[in-house]
Amino acid sequence: MSNTKAYYGQFGGQYVSESLMNTLAEVDAAFEEAIHDPEFLKQYHYYLKQYVGRETPLYFAERLSEKYGTRIYLKREDLNHTGAHKINNVIGQILLAKRMGKTKVIAETGAGQHGVATATGAALFNMECTVYMGAEDIERQKLNVMRMEMLGATVVPVHSGSNTLKDATNEAIRTWAKTAEDTFYIIGSAVGPYPYPKMVKEFQSCISREAKRQFAQEVGGLPDVVMACVGGGSNSIGMFADFIEEKDVRLIGVEAAGLGIETGKHASAMALGKPGVLHGMKSYLLQDDDGNVQLAHSISAGLDYPGVGPEHAYLKDSGRAEYVSITDVEAMDALMELCKLEGIIPAIESAHAMAYAFQLAKEMTPEQSIIVCLSGRGDKDVNTIADYLAGKGYLN
Amino acid sequence: MSENRIEAKLEQLKEKQEKAFITYLTAGLPDMEKTKEIIKAQETAGTDIVEIGVPFSDPIADGPVIQQASYESILGGTNIHKCFDAVEELRADGCGLPMIFMLYYNTICHYGVGKFVKKCREAGVDGLIIPDLPMEEQEEIQAYLAGQDETILIQLVSPVSGQRVPEIVKDARGFIYCVSSMGVTGQSGTFHREISNYLADVKARSPIPVMMGFGITKAADIAPMKDSIDGAIVGSHFINLLRENDFAPEAAAAYCRTFKEEMRRL
Repeated sequence: MSNTKAYYGQFGGQYVSESLMNTLAEVDAAFEEAIHDPEFLKQYHYYLKQYVGRETPLYFAERLSEKYGTRIYLKREDLNHTGAHKINNVIGQILLAKRMGKTKVIAETGAGQHGVATATGAALFNMECTVYMGAEDIERQKLNVMRMEMLGATVVPVHSGSNTLKDATNEAIRTWAKTAEDTFYIIGSAVGPYPYPKMVKEFQSCISREAKRQFAQEVGGLPDVVMACVGGGSNSIGMFADFIEEKDVRLIGVEAAGLGIETGKHASAMALGKPGVLHGMKSYLLQDDDGNVQLAHSISAGLDYPGVGPEHAYLKDSGRAEYVSITDVEAMDALMELCKLEGIIPAIESAHAMAYAFQLAKEMTPEQSIIVCLSGRGDKDVNTIADYLAGKGYLN
Repeated sequence: MSENRIEAKLEQLKEKQEKAFITYLTAGLPDMEKTKEIIKAQETAGTDIVEIGVPFSDPIADGPVIQQASYESILGGTNIHKCFDAVEELRADGCGLPMIFMLYYNTICHYGVGKFVKKCREAGVDGLIIPDLPMEEQEEIQAYLAGQDETILIQLVSPVSGQRVPEIVKDARGFIYCVSSMGVTGQSGTFHREISNYLADVKARSPIPVMMGFGITKAADIAPMKDSIDGAIVGSHFINLLRENDFAPEAAAAYCRTFKEEMRRL
């Protein structure tokens, strides 16, 4: 029996235990029905506008553009409620969970942004919420742990494997397999078994839908380049979605090179991973010689993931999108530049995309244009930034 | 009689009207020499089939006991190559016990699916249990397994498989592995509330023997459903027992003898 619907080329699929297969089928059916139901879409867009604060601006970064000699536009996802793009997807999935009659939601989180977004949505829609988080991440993201708890969520520390996002995701999948009868698993990135990568793309595609229209209205035509950072790949797939069919627009995903690809301490699954199976999907995956999953490394907790969403793997193989990587140092330099020239403190994740935009700008003309997805704000990273600037290094 | 050791063993048990006793242990815990000794001791003690867990970094279908066992085993240097070596050495020593690899699909993908299946046949691995490979994703490996009997793929069924059961059992080989609860291995005493109806339903539909696993510690645990199943699988509890006895092969053998004996009296 082939499962072609669940695949993007050779990537994707449903590599989960038998216990979850009917659950995935139910989620898939409910999702397909919901996104064709005008009532559901009306509700989703209502909350995006009135609660999340969309649409977000497409901001022309004047001083950066002047300095780098090309037109740089920022899609301001950092201005969303809760401070990042994660909430777009949470609102969609939680409305779906309610529609399916579920009373509880669970989520995994690394940096805590998806956990905070899920806790927020759960408070709004009166759902019981449990967030799985690696013990190490709990230590380095205390502020977000407190936010989740204030919002009424239970944060469960995960003490297995590397104690980070990968392990939190394993634990969320295990819990889900036990409790799927009343519990909906809200996956935050464009990863996991089908239909999750498709759902996350659908609920994040508001980013590119708006950006495309805003660019056409304010500038005219299409941008030359669209760029976003890639951990699992949720903001980037949302930023790419409506541009995939526009063949003249270059799509660039920016992974974390950590201390440098050559050091082995990085999170660039596209650059050095080989196809493998993790978290219910087949995709590019960082693995050791025995086929065990390798620990990723990045100063940015949100990019610190050894795999990547299956549609990105397909976009890379088909040549439709390019994937590059940026080191911790390059990202931090870009972060400071954005602070000083534009008065915007970006998330360290988003700073990776900014850094590559600055490099690419050198090859571009003053008339050309880049849209960079500014996926989140940097408030959560202030401690990490302070430690970095003080030369203390950082956890992880 | 089947060319496959698992199927041949189950045919014998059927003739004797006996239930099968199957254990799971993580390979290389605490080291591979011990693993081999424990397997040999079990053969002597009358264990019918052994599952050898090939450790993986991200065992999403396993509870804390097997997670920890896998983690320690990987730290100790266990990998798929050493697991194959162990099976080859056991076979060379005359071990005729049916042996199953329980492993995650990434280990197989990384090895190369075709190369992996070939190696299983050569080494004497009789069966495969792959908990993250539902029937929808089995096409590739089944193509390599087709047309031979030495190595077979064991199918898993869960209490919530429902309408999927007929399709899963249709061409299944060896036995059907019925998971006793939703979720992960090692949740003792928490069988699914519909366990009896579920097992009876699978038994009625399955052309091959039906085994129950997950959360079993003693023969009495399966007494209420003894008419619907053809055997029991003990994993997490077996690992705990090995740990408590400092991995002494005699302790493993004693446990297996008792379980088998008590199962005869059910």
